[in-house]
Amino acid sequence: MSGAAGRMREDLLALVPDLGVWWYALALLPLLLVALLLLGLGRRRVPPGRRVVHRGSMAAAGLSAVGVAGVALDRPVLELSWIPSLGVSFSLRPDGLSVPLLLLTALVGVVATALHLHPAREPRPEPVDLADTDPTSPIPVVRGQDVPGLATYHACLQVVLLGALVAFLAGDALVFFIGFELVLVPMWVLVARYGDPGSDREGAALRFLLVTVVGSSLVLLGILAVASATGTTDLALWAAEGGASLGRGSQLAVAAVLLVGLGLKIPVFPLHTWLPWVHATAPTAGSVLLAAVLLKLGTYGVVRLVLPVVPEGFAAWSPLLAGLGVTGIVWASLVCLVERDLKRLIAWSSVAHLGFVVLGLATGTQAGLQAALFGNVAHGLVSALLFVVVGGLKHRWGSADLGRRRAAVREVAPRLGLALVLGMAASSGLPGLAVFWGEIGSVLAAWGPAADRPEGWFRGFAVLAAVGGALAVAYTVRVLREVWAGDRVEPRVPDAELTERTALRLLGLLVLVLGLAPTLLLGVTAPFVEGVLAR
Amino acid sequence: MPDLPDVPWSDLQLPSLPLPELPAPDLWGSPAHWAVLATLLAALAGLGVTGRSNRLAAWVGVGGGLVAFLATCWQLYTLTQIEGARRGVGTIGALPLGDELDVPLRLLVTWPVAIVAFTVAAVALVVQGYARWYLWYDPRYRPFAATVSLFTSAMLLLVLSDDLLLTLVGWEVMGWCSYLLIGHQSTRAAATRAASKALLVTRTADIGFVLGLVVLASGAGTTRTSDVVAHWGAAGTSPTLTVAMTLLVVGVAGKSALFPFQDWLPDAMEGPTPASALIHAATMVAAGTVVLAQLFPLLAVSGPARLLLAVLACTTMIGAAVLAFAQGDLKRLLAWSTVSQVALMLAVLAAATMGTGPDAALQHLVAHAWFKALLFLTTGWLGVLVGGTAMALMASGARRYRVLRHRFGWGLLALAGVPPFVGFFSKEAVLGTAEAGTAATDGGLVPVLVLASVGATAPLTAAYCMRAWLVLSRPTAVQGHARLYEPGPVERIDDFFDEPQVVQEAEGVERAEAAISSSARMGTSALMLMTLFGGILLLLPVWGPQVHVDLQLLVATLLLMVVSALLVRLAAGGVRTRDAAARIPAGVSLAAERGLHADLAYRAVVATPVLALARAVAWFDDQVLDSWVRGAGLGARLLGRAGDLTSPRRATPALALVLVGMLVLGAIGVVTA
Repeated sequence: MSGAAGRMREDLLALVPDLGVWWYALALLPLLLVALLLLGLGRRRVPPGRRVVHRGSMAAAGLSAVGVAGVALDRPVLELSWIPSLGVSFSLRPDGLSVPLLLLTALVGVVATALHLHPAREPRPEPVDLADTDPTSPIPVVRGQDVPGLATYHACLQVVLLGALVAFLAGDALVFFIGFELVLVPMWVLVARYGDPGSDREGAALRFLLVTVVGSSLVLLGILAVASATGTTDLALWAAEGGASLGRGSQLAVAAVLLVGLGLKIPVFPLHTWLPWVHATAPTAGSVLLAAVLLKLGTYGVVRLVLPVVPEGFAAWSPLLAGLGVTGIVWASLVCLVERDLKRLIAWSSVAHLGFVVLGLATGTQAGLQAALFGNVAHGLVSALLFVVVGGLKHRWGSADLGRRRAAVREVAPRLGLALVLGMAASSGLPGLAVFWGEIGSVLAAWGPAADRPEGWFRGFAVLAAVGGALAVAYTVRVLREVWAGDRVEPRVPDAELTERTALRLLGLLVLVLGLAPTLLLGVTAPFVEGVLAR
Repeated sequence: MPDLPDVPWSDLQLPSLPLPELPAPDLWGSPAHWAVLATLLAALAGLGVTGRSNRLAAWVGVGGGLVAFLATCWQLYTLTQIEGARRGVGTIGALPLGDELDVPLRLLVTWPVAIVAFTVAAVALVVQGYARWYLWYDPRYRPFAATVSLFTSAMLLLVLSDDLLLTLVGWEVMGWCSYLLIGHQSTRAAATRAASKALLVTRTADIGFVLGLVVLASGAGTTRTSDVVAHWGAAGTSPTLTVAMTLLVVGVAGKSALFPFQDWLPDAMEGPTPASALIHAATMVAAGTVVLAQLFPLLAVSGPARLLLAVLACTTMIGAAVLAFAQGDLKRLLAWSTVSQVALMLAVLAAATMGTGPDAALQHLVAHAWFKALLFLTTGWLGVLVGGTAMALMASGARRYRVLRHRFGWGLLALAGVPPFVGFFSKEAVLGTAEAGTAATDGGLVPVLVLASVGATAPLTAAYCMRAWLVLSRPTAVQGHARLYEPGPVERIDDFFDEPQVVQEAEGVERAEAAISSSARMGTSALMLMTLFGGILLLLPVWGPQVHVDLQLLVATLLLMVVSALLVRLAAGGVRTRDAAARIPAGVSLAAERGLHADLAYRAVVATPVLALARAVAWFDDQVLDSWVRGAGLGARLLGRAGDLTSPRRATPALALVLVGMLVLGAIGVVTA
């Protein structure tokens, strides 16, 4: 059986053209070119039409996805000398840890560019009950529409993708940081200019900017500290050295600075308050990218910049980190029980999921790291799926307020309803869907953490994490009861249109496949996990 | 009473027959794979591929169930051909979670497990066929059939699993499927509420289940159940093991609706009847029995866990039997009887010793599956005919529709444990095991408690069965009139086909038969046969270590049952509906129907504090944690305003100079590098 599968895999691989480092060109250049082109076109007096922008943007994302797939299969190494005096080189070096995230980024990028942007509009008047229903209340348009500034919007999406890809590909700390930074401004534009004016757009954009700028300055500080101690910014060299050139005190300090900086991005409790605001405001595609890609930069940064580089410092901080992660799980799940805005609720659930990821990372065991890497990708897929659904619902409803009575989604939009059930079930850790393996792996790892971690504390964290799992089911039940079930059919909303349907099918299928065959992903990361944890 | 001898169970067992050598087809995988995969694929295909066609969905659902059923039958045969009758097979391969933890994800088939799997697959197949009829006009038949398939797959996976993680997978998937099935009619607020309640209550208890599994797996360094049992069994009693097993027992108590988690199960009656039959008969609620039986050697050495299990199960067993008697709805009566019977299975696990093994619990599981599925499906059939399942509507049902008479009668007799029905044999095994436990521990608390509770439950069960039967078989109005006008024996019938009683009877059979589809009817007939002859399955010589059947105890129990049934008959006399429960004061009756207001307790103890905490957390987050971000934003804005005021509005030449300087610096850097 496995022999035949292996042969088939080899035959398929033989079909892939051997482009070497040109795969990078295919992965990155379309995004860059189209972004520049759209920025230029968008400033003209007569902006290009909706179809041109949308299709061009999708073509770029699609081409880039092909390139990323090629990179994932070939894994070519690119090394260009850049600033030799500082030991900085422009190196792209994907491995088993980054390949899943690269593929996730490419896929989510295609989904995000495909989703239609809708002009901001007044919330629909809500009939109080059936008696005063206005049967002629307009059914919102969910197909593509002409929106002012569409070209700039798509250019921003492309730059966000470009930055994320560069960060995940980077084999050098500085290149990673450049990618990390590149994402910020376009994301801010997406929130501040294309966000929902009905919510506090200013506040959200300000929070995003402040928090991420503070975060990335701290990350830069940490990178500089390590670079000055080791004389290089090559991540492989950093990992190989394992913090030998840093004393215990400086390891502690560097780990603290980096963890706070990345923790703002992940986000870890109590640095998480910006996330619900930004999610509530961002356009659907922005939310999808934010949840599925941007937050992963934080966790990926921990895996790359902290775990192997300053192992002693990380070990010292890990009980605190795990404690904060677990607090985040319970905290966010509790808030989900009373949150009134559906989009914010999904954002809160993200905080809870990333709590599991952080817990897995902090255990310092292979099982924990594997679970965290798996949970990372699983959360990316599930949150992308949920934000597609919830963003769509918000547009249809005119707001995402759960306090209003609306038509039951199962009755009026069964496809969206099915996707919502699937997403919420996955998010609550239903086995057979992706998130489960990451969460149970984290709990298992937390019960038996690495030898230098305080076992008692971690066992307590495992118990709290298990409680958080039950709370996740509680808010899932709440959402399904308030949104999905019921007998109201007014005000009518249209079901998922083609783009949404395709995106939801794709994401749902992947969530299911990863849930049924977790070895597909775990097998990719397994050979590299040991390298991260080796001292 | 004369001194009756003990009969060893092995004397009752059938001789093992030599089976013919069948040609074994060389198929991919093992029957266990086929059973789990067929139903899983049926579920996925039912949702994804069947489009809008109910017909196709039915073919997929029933087809998947049929393949699983055939696979489990074939599995029984293959076990006879395997030395040692144990067969382990892999699934998706081991999870690469590092060196510290081995996660092989394997399945293991042994005799008891194979018989349970056969029962599950058979009941699920019957339910699928029945659902096609019952939900014929339901616009959501497709998701229903797919969920039933998924449910079956999860239960089969749990039964056949040899890995704690796979057990957890089956366990949680079943919880979710029950949510979807109970809340099938999501337009009804009551159904949605009951579904949410079922999922929330069971998942809350599952915190214990998850942690118990995690502790066991983490200590053993593997999740493979047989290795976990071997590891902890070799280590002997330890506080960690006790904690783990206690946590597991809590989880099992939730899923199996033991006190204090019992209240979700009667509410689950909001689901369509086929779903109730599936949840109550062979899957979900019985899953805890299977899991604890798989981990039995560990349970046997953890005293506190056994004590907890025994206390919870015995409380539930008796309490639920009492509550069942007072229900005003036949489905709810059956639900409470399920609570009671499942507690019986779990109680015997607490009382069993390593000498007797856990097989009695599994035997009762199998027996219960047959007769409870029969009772539910028959109730659903009658419910369709009379338009509801309230006792008042159901009255005279078994008389008016004589085709239901044997189905109800045999089911209730089996439930009460009357020979020669299947329930009799399993209850003897249960009693024998409890007695053996008493003897082995020399009157230990747990076995004595269990034995006493089982003894007390038998007459209570007989009482509510008798009550249900009296109501169901009440003479119809026509029969009543006939008796009124013709008190003596009828001497001459002018025209047989004009006789009102004959006409009514023929009409009843005609209506009942016309209402149901042939496959659904055939399914209930098969269940009826298994209710009568299922004892053969329990007497197969493949069940584990032996117990003795104490004839004295047997006779005493049967006598008690007869007495309580007669008492109920007596109480029913003089009540127009022949409902003995009508003698219960109204207040008590209402409280019983509402499950003694356990809802209020759940709300007061769990829901309200958690929500209050959630509100406090949300307030704190918004007002305190977020304030530093807000403050920083405000500060930055103020600084910006200050800078704005103190600097000139237009670009000055100085700025151009600065820019040029920066460019020059950059150029120097590039050139010198």
